[in-house]
Amino acid sequence: MVVITTKKPEQEVFDALDRYNVKKAVIVSCGTCAALCQTGGTEGLEEWTQKLEEKGIQVLSGIVSEDVCDNRVMRKDLNKIKEEVAGADAILTLSCGLGIQSIVKNMERFDAGKPVIIANNTEFMGMTERIGRFYMRCLGCGDCLLNETGGICPITTCAKALMNGPCGGMVEGKCEVGNYEKDCGWILIYNRLKEMGRLDLFEKLRPPRDWSESGHQREVVFR
Amino acid sequence: MAYSKLGEMLEKGEFVLTGELEPEKTCDLSHTIHEAKEMAPYVVGANVTDSPLGIVTINSMAASHIVQREAGLEVIWQLTVRDVNKLGIAGMIMGAHALGIRNVLSLTGDHPALGDVTEAKPVFDLDSATLCSLVREMVDKKSINGHEIECPPTLHVGAAANPNADPMGAEILKIGRKAEAGAEFLQTQVVYDLERTIEFLTEIRKYKVPILLGIFPMKSYGIAKGFDEFVPGVSVPKDILAQWKSIKKEITDKKDQKEAYDNANYEFFKPFITELRKKGLLDGIHCMAVHYPRIFPKLKSVIEDSN
Repeated sequence: MVVITTKKPEQEVFDALDRYNVKKAVIVSCGTCAALCQTGGTEGLEEWTQKLEEKGIQVLSGIVSEDVCDNRVMRKDLNKIKEEVAGADAILTLSCGLGIQSIVKNMERFDAGKPVIIANNTEFMGMTERIGRFYMRCLGCGDCLLNETGGICPITTCAKALMNGPCGGMVEGKCEVGNYEKDCGWILIYNRLKEMGRLDLFEKLRPPRDWSESGHQREVVFR
Repeated sequence: MAYSKLGEMLEKGEFVLTGELEPEKTCDLSHTIHEAKEMAPYVVGANVTDSPLGIVTINSMAASHIVQREAGLEVIWQLTVRDVNKLGIAGMIMGAHALGIRNVLSLTGDHPALGDVTEAKPVFDLDSATLCSLVREMVDKKSINGHEIECPPTLHVGAAANPNADPMGAEILKIGRKAEAGAEFLQTQVVYDLERTIEFLTEIRKYKVPILLGIFPMKSYGIAKGFDEFVPGVSVPKDILAQWKSIKKEITDKKDQKEAYDNANYEFFKPFITELRKKGLLDGIHCMAVHYPRIFPKLKSVIEDSN
């Protein structure tokens, strides 16, 4: 699993840096998911170091961290460059949305008022076909239907995340969203269950998704 | 128990004819009311659409209420699950009852990405089957999620069925789920292929839900051509298109041309519907041709002559 990120438009990042009048920065680049998505890693660090310097922003330090989203790893890595962090007007992170929040969390003990700017947009948890081809096939909804749908998730493969599909927007197995180019998730499920000889599962009326637990801040705490 | 004229006719096994009204992006419903008045003598009721194609129009519940009040025509309120969550929809169902609406058609709704407010959040908290379950719980059990409704609504709920679906097997099983969820009538999508219609209706007859066949009489060659080209999954047979084209080309007098189109529709639909009724596959007709109310007297005779 990879948290898929894409690059924000460059100007949006510079605008964010300008908002805090940043003259000196530290860059924290993710060496795991973002590296795979070519939005972080060593290459991203080099790219952004150059971009910032071209704009006259001094890069006091740049690190590639293997787990920006792990609070413990981030604490150690930030500790190693704490003087540079202290001297910087902001931290620029080439990570996902989890990464920036891990940095912000850690900055509570370093310098709670330090701006942290992110250079990426977080897209989804992705299934990898190959580098450069990632697909959203799980939303992390917390209530997997996969044992009843032949291992294909309707929440992500159906554009409407329907519990009872297909809808009238399906034409020849394709979805109305995206000009009938993508497969209708419910037809993928139908075909799979048919192959399995288990269309009885397709017949089943499913109740609406229960949002009572998953519709707000979610945590997994088991010790 | 019947709560509406439509419900009553279906309960008695009387053949029904329904029409369709498509309010637009306006607060002025005078055109819709005018059309409703024109079809009212011939139909038991008319569907009032809910922002089809995701293109925002006046709210369908408000339009339904005003049509009933101003035109005296019973409505089948189309309600999609696209824009409102279960909590909101439950409130709307009670509101609709309070406004005198007694039929609702449960629909998924076209995705906002297709329409003119593409940035809107696609809700789809319910789906077209579970909306039927919700209505039936509110009406029959007089509750929402087991919580009692002091004065419960009384509405009949219908659902859509698509004879053009490919693969058809998936659609049939989905209709089965709608039937299990409590759909009280089905209105089909438009179809021109008799054999396919027979195959489809024969399959869904097992669910024992009254079926209203969706038809689309074509007002002009331009409309026929547009329907063929732009409605995904529906094609108008080539001979029909050719016939409509020749009416356009050969008959220059507007009045005569109108009459020729109306007659051609009668000639096409009469054998089509006669055949389906003979096989016991239909409980009614749902005419989806909006802005073509003058066709209703002809459709009424199609129904009378096909019996």
